[in-house]
Amino acid sequence: MKWTLLVILAVLALALSVVLGPAAVPLGELLRSDIVWNLRAPRALLAFLVGGSLGVAGAGLQALVRNPLADPFLLGLSGGAGLGAVIAIALHLSGPWALPIAAFIGALAALGLVYRLGLIGGASLDPRILLLGGVAIGAFAAAITTAIVSLADAAELRNAFLWLWGGLSGASWDSVLLVALYAPIPLVVLLAASRPLDLLALGEEPAQYLGADVERVKRRVYLAASLLTAAAVAVSGVIGFIGLVVPHIARLTWGHRHRSLLPAAFLGGGALLAFADTLARTVVAPRELPVGVVTALIGVPVFAFLLKRWTIA
Amino acid sequence: MLRRLSVVVLVLFACHTSARRHENPPAQRIVSLLPSFTELLFAIGAGDRVVGRTQWCDYPPAALSIPSVGDGLPPNIEAVMARRPDLVVLYNAGPNVTAAKQLERAGIQTVLIDLNRLEDLGPAARTLGRLTGREEQAESLAIALDSLAGRPPPPATTSLAFVVWDNPPIIIGHGSYLDQLATQAGARNVFGDIAAPSAQVSLETIVARDPQWIAVLSDSTVPPAFAKRREWRAVRAVRAGHFLLLPGSLFGRPGPRSGNAIQQLRARLAR
Repeated sequence: MKWTLLVILAVLALALSVVLGPAAVPLGELLRSDIVWNLRAPRALLAFLVGGSLGVAGAGLQALVRNPLADPFLLGLSGGAGLGAVIAIALHLSGPWALPIAAFIGALAALGLVYRLGLIGGASLDPRILLLGGVAIGAFAAAITTAIVSLADAAELRNAFLWLWGGLSGASWDSVLLVALYAPIPLVVLLAASRPLDLLALGEEPAQYLGADVERVKRRVYLAASLLTAAAVAVSGVIGFIGLVVPHIARLTWGHRHRSLLPAAFLGGGALLAFADTLARTVVAPRELPVGVVTALIGVPVFAFLLKRWTIA
Repeated sequence: MLRRLSVVVLVLFACHTSARRHENPPAQRIVSLLPSFTELLFAIGAGDRVVGRTQWCDYPPAALSIPSVGDGLPPNIEAVMARRPDLVVLYNAGPNVTAAKQLERAGIQTVLIDLNRLEDLGPAARTLGRLTGREEQAESLAIALDSLAGRPPPPATTSLAFVVWDNPPIIIGHGSYLDQLATQAGARNVFGDIAAPSAQVSLETIVARDPQWIAVLSDSTVPPAFAKRREWRAVRAVRAGHFLLLPGSLFGRPGPRSGNAIQQLRARLAR
């Protein structure tokens, strides 16, 4: 029942984002319209894939660091991606894919640094050190970014922040194809770690006793979740709240078993972002809202409502 | 009673001094913190009294030999004061208001001037004329600029969209100087219904409104990088390569050359 509802919700969100838009496309011409084929359909799919990836990455990281505040961007990736993007603009790197590639490299660099910090002095990815390292690297990258923006001449730099704060305007069949080929690998890695992730919730030592190879699971989950997030930030910037709120909503409804939690977070995250993007494109048309604003405006009240029900029960 | 009277006298005296301050002798050392002001000062014959400019002030060529005080956003107060100005001209916006107060506290006369649209040019020229003692030259320039702003636009023969940024797409709306430039050059801004100076829109809105030209402020001679992106190729003007690449120094700012900018834009649209 819960699953049927979720699947219906996901299909509905996808359908709405293809049917609705600021440009008037008559229903009869939907299948023949250039706007629908070249802009709306890839944008809806990209929103779904990115939202789903962020949902799963958030769920994985929350289990890994055993902290309900964990969010895919908490571990320094947004800072790294922003720095990469700003460097690309400041150096006048041209080419249609310069910005996404630079952001991806920036996110990977931050990931590598935080990972390295997480291993310092035999810490073996201690959650506390990962969180602190992530915040520190993120702040460091943000400081360099701000320094470049205030010192460099390029007038376009101001707009780098607009890009960084997320949006699916860059969606095309190229970016959909890219994410569709890339995302399944880390997604499968995370899904395969479902059982050990359940055990990890009991604490590292008990998990070890119960037969989980804790070190390996932590490494895999951390890398897979971060690689998913890095791809998401490269194609759509930093879209907040999905990776924080969706895993919690999924956990409140599906419980703590990752075998059902992760797929639910994928479908839920995808549906939420596709729906939020439809609203972002249509409510103030012909203008458009940044999608991160809409995800927060929808996600937070839903979350508060569930939290209330949960604490009362 | 006596006390009240003395307050009145004090107030009168204060009014008198503040009125006198406006009758300052013409400024001799001016720092201009907006390229448009630098151009206006040169146009009214006060260019030789400009002792500081922003790094963006590149016209007229003589302006380039004046020391730069930085990007001016927000102004670097120390760099400005180091030029020992007796007048600092600032664009009227948030951070500049604070900067102006700081400079006034240091005893330097400042003036905050609105300059967002064509109709602001005449008043700006007159203000600068008054402060530099070049009223006559300023008045004749102001009359020309006023008539430019008041001119009924020619019928639109083509349409365009000004794209400021590509991801997310930010376009120019009715509230901007660039919208006026296009209208005066005989092109309809397809986003003229958006009241704000600029706004984020969906790509599909640009496709649906189908402008004949995509205008971009750019010093380059090759189309912007987004022209090659697949999603942008849904826009007909992008597919057709109908880009107007407008150098920012001439087209990006209202100033004494605005008439020239309109003429050049019209010529390029006719080509």
